[in-house]
Amino acid sequence: MGILESIGRFFTGHFLSPGYFWFFAVLPLVVLLYLLKLRRTEIVIASTMLWTRSLQDLTANAPFQRLRRNLLLFLQILILLLVIIALARPFMTHEGPTGNNLCLIIDRSASMKTVEGGTTRVELAKKEALDMVDTMAGSDKAMVVAFGAKTDVLSEFTDDKERLRKAIAGIKAVDTGTNLRDVMLIARSLAPDNRELPAAVTDLKLILLSDGKVSDLEELGVLGIGVDYVKIGHTSHNAGITVFNVRTPEEGQGPKQAFVLVHNESERALATTVTIYLDDRPLGSCEIKAEPGSDGEAVLELPEVQSGVLRAELDHPDALAADNVAWLVMRPRTRLRVLLVATDGSSGAYFLQRALSLDPRVDLARANPTNYSPMSRYDLTVFESWSPKQLPGGCLVFINTVPPESGVSSEGKIENPPVLAVDSGHILTRLLNPAAVRINEAMALTLPAGARTLVSTRGGPLIADISRPDQTIAVVAFDIAMSNWPLNLSFPLFVQNLVAWTPDPAPAGEASISTGQPLTIMPSPDVDHADVTLPDGTDRRVEMEPTRPVFFAETETAGVYRVQRGNETVLHAVNLLDKNESSITPAPLLKIGRGEVVGESGKVRQNVEYQRWLLLFALIVLALEWWIYSRRARI
Amino acid sequence: MAATKELTSGTSKLNPETLTVSVTTVVPMHEQDPKPKGMLSPDFLGKLERLALVSKRVQLGASKGERRSKRKGMGIEFADYRDYVQGDELRHVDWNLFARLDALYLRLFEDQEDLTLHLLIDASASMGFGTPSKLEFACTLAAAIGYIALVGYDRVTVEAFSGSQQRVLPPIRGKSSARKLFAFLESVEAGGPTRLERACHAHLANNRFAGMYILISDFFDQDGFDGCIRKLAGSRSDVHAVHVLAPEEINPDVSGDLKLIDSETGKAVEVSINRALLKRYHTDRELFCESIRKYCAARGIGYLMTGSDAPIEKITLEALRKGGLIR
Repeated sequence: MGILESIGRFFTGHFLSPGYFWFFAVLPLVVLLYLLKLRRTEIVIASTMLWTRSLQDLTANAPFQRLRRNLLLFLQILILLLVIIALARPFMTHEGPTGNNLCLIIDRSASMKTVEGGTTRVELAKKEALDMVDTMAGSDKAMVVAFGAKTDVLSEFTDDKERLRKAIAGIKAVDTGTNLRDVMLIARSLAPDNRELPAAVTDLKLILLSDGKVSDLEELGVLGIGVDYVKIGHTSHNAGITVFNVRTPEEGQGPKQAFVLVHNESERALATTVTIYLDDRPLGSCEIKAEPGSDGEAVLELPEVQSGVLRAELDHPDALAADNVAWLVMRPRTRLRVLLVATDGSSGAYFLQRALSLDPRVDLARANPTNYSPMSRYDLTVFESWSPKQLPGGCLVFINTVPPESGVSSEGKIENPPVLAVDSGHILTRLLNPAAVRINEAMALTLPAGARTLVSTRGGPLIADISRPDQTIAVVAFDIAMSNWPLNLSFPLFVQNLVAWTPDPAPAGEASISTGQPLTIMPSPDVDHADVTLPDGTDRRVEMEPTRPVFFAETETAGVYRVQRGNETVLHAVNLLDKNESSITPAPLLKIGRGEVVGESGKVRQNVEYQRWLLLFALIVLALEWWIYSRRARI
Repeated sequence: MAATKELTSGTSKLNPETLTVSVTTVVPMHEQDPKPKGMLSPDFLGKLERLALVSKRVQLGASKGERRSKRKGMGIEFADYRDYVQGDELRHVDWNLFARLDALYLRLFEDQEDLTLHLLIDASASMGFGTPSKLEFACTLAAAIGYIALVGYDRVTVEAFSGSQQRVLPPIRGKSSARKLFAFLESVEAGGPTRLERACHAHLANNRFAGMYILISDFFDQDGFDGCIRKLAGSRSDVHAVHVLAPEEINPDVSGDLKLIDSETGKAVEVSINRALLKRYHTDRELFCESIRKYCAARGIGYLMTGSDAPIEKITLEALRKGGLIR
């Protein structure tokens, strides 16, 4: 089977129409016809006596003699073989493109920064592209397209080689991922079967110079154009940071942690360290291990860090340096805006106000039912013994009152309710021990489905979490002034828990964006421009609009971008963090849509048919055969 | 094809010294050549006149000649005595012996008679091939030998045979008959199958004079060559066989796939010429000639193989002399 398969592979690999080889069955027919229909030249000689005698011992195997010795038959068989082979359309693989309109598509994504033998992959791709331009015939045209996360047409179709060389030479690798979709849209618009385009390019050939690390290949539809994929590079020696973030431990306790996930693409196990820097000052290192082809993670505690630029560096020299570093901008936490709504002179409100104002994160405001406006936005609103007609936005706590539109109803009172159970797993009641609390009277509340009782007494809850998917709401079923709770230690703890429970108004303080994604610069009424400083130190001026945010798209380099808007300075971390780019092993084949394109390392292979040469040769052999035939007929 | 004869003697009287004969033998249509061939030049004729046929046997002749005869007669040289019988001429009685012995003895002298040269020419179709044709060569050679014989006062008879056909030149004598000889030889045409044995048999039956037989043939006889040689060997005569082959038969210049057709039998032989076959052919041709030579040698018959393109002077003056046919 193996031999048959390899024979089959040979025929399909060297001939475009191998089916014509069935004509080999005609060969015996030619031999037969030759033997049967051999036209002999008749010559009258004096006597055949001697010839007959000479033939006597030779005629025994005369047919084989004829076969073995007859040049004409061999020539006829040769002609037939040549014609059959020509019909099968043999082709040779020619290096370098020929006779086409070429679309040179050069990958400049981050993985193309990989160093291969002293130079980068993008330089190798450029060299290949320049070689192709050099081998272009006079009538050939080419265009140059470079793509990373975004696609640039660097040169339109032209036969000006100098212009093409200049366009290719100007290509630089960026720190972005890969997006082939735009390239294919451009290619499709040029395709000869595009009826919308009257001046479509015929005989178009796409040449994709890439390492094949293209993330959106499978999303591409059927492409009606021939694609040659030139595989650039071969190494897989790389480890890269694919995730870098700062997280708060569960339930908000404990110091913040920097989390680093490293992908090991190389064939050897990875054992190295990750060092975390804050504003270029090392905070600490952490060991990291990863098996070949798998991920390893490192977690480093950041005890007192509130703001600054965090940088994670992988201490592992490898082929691709761009993914060995990642940045994160930590912004200081913003203060919580808290509104306490209570009637003037309420005792409960007094305790609450005292407890809330102790928390440094809280900006406390007071309102009474008369001057309360539901339109005002606060992060946390505490209603004490009074509730509005409709629920305002933000986090809400209702104390000794029934929240409207929440499905909670009150049915009578419970006298001296004892504290029976505490749900210590909830953030509101964490570390709370209200067993010593004495309550005179509590509302007998009926909770809606999905609500969580945090502190229960007989006949109903004392404290419950009735949060909905879009809003966090808690309810306390008793008047804290009619209890000894404010004198208990659990009260300030509850208030602190309440503040911690309140969703952070700016939770993405440590977030970063991916390279290639635009930076959003928010509008400011009194600022008409912003200055953006790129990681390499160059400045860009961005004109602002008063009402709409402005997007800054020149983010193809990873690093920290400084946006100066008036007096305000905002830092943005732009990171590669792309596992696809860190996996630098070149793809042997590309699946574009439904088709597969096999990559050839280094060279473009062009199938050059030599059918006509074979036919010409067959014609020459035919002429030779005729000449020999006529020469033999002469005595 | 008409044979042409050209006498350039200038006088009506036959003068062998100035006789120039162009012997153009019959050639098939495709071998036709308008030029006369095999010319016996005056020089060559002059050389021939100094030659004589060598007969190893003493034989009876038809008439008086210059050769020793078995017959005792009126010659000069004493040969023998014999008893007188009644009726013998008294002139021949040796009277001296009678005086001594008192008995009658006759003195016998050796007689001198002529030799009959039989030129047997194979005129079958196969002889018409070759450049020049084998028949042309045969007739020219026959003319040369015949001329030597005529000059030596020998009788010459020629028979050209093919199949059952024979053309015979009755015995001629004397130099003056050379014209007849040449005329006859020029008129010989090739055609018909080779029947050597039958022709020899017929010739021997019709000719009572022994003498010298010269057979010129290519020996391409489907019945074999041995029959005719055996018959000639039994004739108690000097026999010489001249084996003529065309240059194309000695070194065939053919190639390719051919259908060879026998000129006499019409039989076709399909051959694909290649080196092996050619080598085989050469071997077989040599074996064929060798077998004839051996057969002749065993029977005391002289054998000469020659190509039809060989110069006639050289053959006559050198090869035939070496073979003991002439001196």
